Amino acid sequence: MTGQVALHQDSIADKAVSIYKKMLRHPTYKWLLLILGLPLSIILIPIFRYFSAKSGYARLKESTVQELTQSGLPAQLLQEAREQVRRKHQFFGQSVNEKALEQEAKAWADTKFSNAVDQRMQLQQHTAEPFMFEHAFQWFIMHPARFALSIIIAFPMYVLMLIYSNPYVKYIIERLVMAVLVILGVSVLVFTILYISPMDPASNLLGETATEEQIASFNQLYGLDQPYLVQLWDTLKGIVTLDLGKSFAGNELVSTAIANKFPITLTLTVIATILAVIIALPIGIISATKPNSVFDYSFMFIALLGLSIPNFWLGLIFILNFSIKLSWLPATYSPGNWMSAIMPVVVLGTALMASVARMTRSSMLEVIHEDYIITARAKGLKSRHVLWKHAIGNALIPIITVIGLLFGSMLGGAAVTEKVFNISGIGSYIVDRQFIPDIPSIMGGVVYTAITISIVNVIVDLLYAFLDPRIRSKMKQY
Amino acid sequence: MVNIASTQQEINFRLKSAPEYREASLAGLLSLLVAAILLLNAIWVEGNSFQPLLLIIGGSYLFFAVIQLVIWFFIRRNLLHHGHITPAVRRSGYLLLPAILVANVFVVIAGSQLIKRSKSTAYTLAVYTLLSTILTFAVSALNTLKPYVADYFLIGMALLLICAIFQLVSLLLLAKYKQEDFLPRWMYVVAAILIATAATGNVFALFLGIMLIAKIRNQGYTSGTRFGEIFEKLARSMTSMLGLLFVSFLVTLAITSMLTFDSSLAIDNNYSAILQQPSAMYPLGTDNFGRDLFSRIIMGARISLLVGVLTTVIPLIIGGLLGAISGYYGKHTDNIIMRALDILYAIPGILLAIAIIAAFGAGIFNLIIALSIGSIPTYARIMRANVLQVSSLEYVQAASAIGSSDRLILFRHILPNTVAPMIVQSTLTIGTAVISTSSLSFLGLGVEPHIPEWGNILKLGSAYLETHPYTAIYPGLAIILLVLAFNFLGDGLRDALDPKLN
Repeated sequence: MTGQVALHQDSIADKAVSIYKKMLRHPTYKWLLLILGLPLSIILIPIFRYFSAKSGYARLKESTVQELTQSGLPAQLLQEAREQVRRKHQFFGQSVNEKALEQEAKAWADTKFSNAVDQRMQLQQHTAEPFMFEHAFQWFIMHPARFALSIIIAFPMYVLMLIYSNPYVKYIIERLVMAVLVILGVSVLVFTILYISPMDPASNLLGETATEEQIASFNQLYGLDQPYLVQLWDTLKGIVTLDLGKSFAGNELVSTAIANKFPITLTLTVIATILAVIIALPIGIISATKPNSVFDYSFMFIALLGLSIPNFWLGLIFILNFSIKLSWLPATYSPGNWMSAIMPVVVLGTALMASVARMTRSSMLEVIHEDYIITARAKGLKSRHVLWKHAIGNALIPIITVIGLLFGSMLGGAAVTEKVFNISGIGSYIVDRQFIPDIPSIMGGVVYTAITISIVNVIVDLLYAFLDPRIRSKMKQY
Repeated sequence: MVNIASTQQEINFRLKSAPEYREASLAGLLSLLVAAILLLNAIWVEGNSFQPLLLIIGGSYLFFAVIQLVIWFFIRRNLLHHGHITPAVRRSGYLLLPAILVANVFVVIAGSQLIKRSKSTAYTLAVYTLLSTILTFAVSALNTLKPYVADYFLIGMALLLICAIFQLVSLLLLAKYKQEDFLPRWMYVVAAILIATAATGNVFALFLGIMLIAKIRNQGYTSGTRFGEIFEKLARSMTSMLGLLFVSFLVTLAITSMLTFDSSLAIDNNYSAILQQPSAMYPLGTDNFGRDLFSRIIMGARISLLVGVLTTVIPLIIGGLLGAISGYYGKHTDNIIMRALDILYAIPGILLAIAIIAAFGAGIFNLIIALSIGSIPTYARIMRANVLQVSSLEYVQAASAIGSSDRLILFRHILPNTVAPMIVQSTLTIGTAVISTSSLSFLGLGVEPHIPEWGNILKLGSAYLETHPYTAIYPGLAIILLVLAFNFLGDGLRDALDPKLN
């Protein structure tokens, strides 16, 4: 019973050592490891010093160095290096001053000397290994009591090691950390742009007749008189806690306004994306299976046309035809009426539909000409089977990425469509507020849109990492 | 000799082997499409004083479409029966040339390609050069129907006419030479004159002139320049050449309109002619200030082209440099630059532009900056990927082995070999830039409202959608045509530059 426990513990400790060793090789993880396990690291340093001084390796190296130095090797190497460096510069016709030349020769000679030492030690056939930091860790956790102690004092470090040990978890966490850093960067960037703005919201809102005191009290009320870093910190805190304060105009809570408007935009863009993908995928696939046919040419022409039409013009033409002339659909959007959502959704989805159809076609064409498809054909599979079983799965991978990216630009570009159909979404909210400029509102609108897009992109990345076996195997390797 | 194709495979092969067949079908279909649009407009849109003219032009498009389709049928029969096009059918191409009178460029191009059996790229380019000038001349000539013309109108028209004559002469001269023929030395003069006519904005003339000079200097010593090779491929795709034709036409119009168009018609209010329907004097009608929509759209081309080109060139240079440095030096430099650009990449272009314009105010300068910054990351990523690929090649290692400096390797040896994908990307993004510009103007965030820019014209027109829809439709059509032209050109360039197809 006790033996089993000991064995079990042993294997865990061994695993921990091998992970620790791997992580020490990685520049970023090394520091994270040492910092998260700070109490343990502090204990390990004297242990490491003690053992590495005691180890046979250090002594052997010292004696080898001494031996070689006495034989006059360094001076000889330096002389050789000097000559070589001089000849090299002569060959390239460069003129270098003596000091730089000497430095280069010295560096060269030093490298050669340490190589010679290593070689000599290998020749002497001493198997002594250098004592590394991970050996100190290994020694420390060999004993179950010390292992338990190390878990207590360096718990965050073990959590990190646990994350690192599983390639999937590691990939997900790394991707999430990247997304958080990008969002932080976006917030700082947008805030800085609005901070250095030469516009003066106070005098824009209060009018020409505002007195100095009124402007000063406005600036004080909204914290505009604070230094840059204080304002930045407040804004970042506001973004995380979903409380960006009150907007300059209308005196409403920015987060409430955004919470009211954002779902409208998000719903419309999501529906538009789904609709566009449902229509575009079959078109792209059929175009690829019958390249250069009339069907292919006409649909690809329509797709290119769809890419070339500005959203607002398409919206206006739809309103002109379907609302004014034919009176089929309402010209403005109202949240409860699904009929009024048809035109905005189609207008929003047009560009995405066109891009996805073109992308599907080119991606399918590429896959269809791969060797494995020819093999599948050669072994006598029906072409429909080849298409659905073998080709589409692989062709979809780049398309998913494109859909994720285009969803972002659609969400960001929704302002134009919202203005045409009089939708009170986040885009038209930002545009309405930019004339003042209402800094908290713009800040909130832009940053929360960017956050949504980042989340969508993270999901797409993860999705496609798990769908694509090539990426899965790459993830395990590193 | 009759040599009838038997299998479906052979039929397909024969039809594909003759570019004239493809061009004939495309020209026929496009002419039919335009004819249908014109005729439907003439019949449905009531109260249009242009009805008879629309009917005539639409009818003539239909007429030439029918001729084209008959010729298409003969070409098809020729190919299936003989495997080549007979001289009699080739001569029928002359029937199509008069279509230039009704500005049916599709049919004219198909005809000019059909007439000659072995065409050189120079011949094809010369046809497009001439067409571009003729179209500009025709559109500028519409000004004669106005009550008054610009001061330099006659000078401008005379210059265009002289250019057209020179280009016609060079077309006839070039028609004599085949692709593989050596050009005589006096062709330098022709090339020089063609490049001089490119000052009107005729992009084809510039390319043709450069290509001729390269060809004369080469004299068959090498298999040809990369530039010539690209144009050879591009000239085979009629859609991308049509795209370039529209771009060239618009650039020429934008430049020559400084002489031939009276800006007061586009800018000054004229309250006696408010919201007029299209007529001879106002071909596209007038807006709510009585300004001529036609002149406004032509003048708007300047702004749209300028903003489109600048918002492509600026990020191309900045993004390209950042990407090149990032890809070449790698390690920490790469990490820092690319992570910083990831932040920019996370904000959608339009949203970033809105934020920048909110901070610094609307205006053409801020607009260009705002749109440029948003597309830096895309260019940087493409450039970085290219540089990574090229710097692992042997010749770069060789350059660094003989002691070349990093700057020399990067600028002399690596960058020239990474241009192709950047050119394709920039052609495709000019279209997006034009759409973004007009979108922002439509939101009131772009070009100042008093400047006739396409988005501004559309914004004004959208208020009169119910009563005078044409004020919103025509500027939109101009945007679509320009963007479509750039997209076609970009697609063609991508095919021509794609190393996979080489």
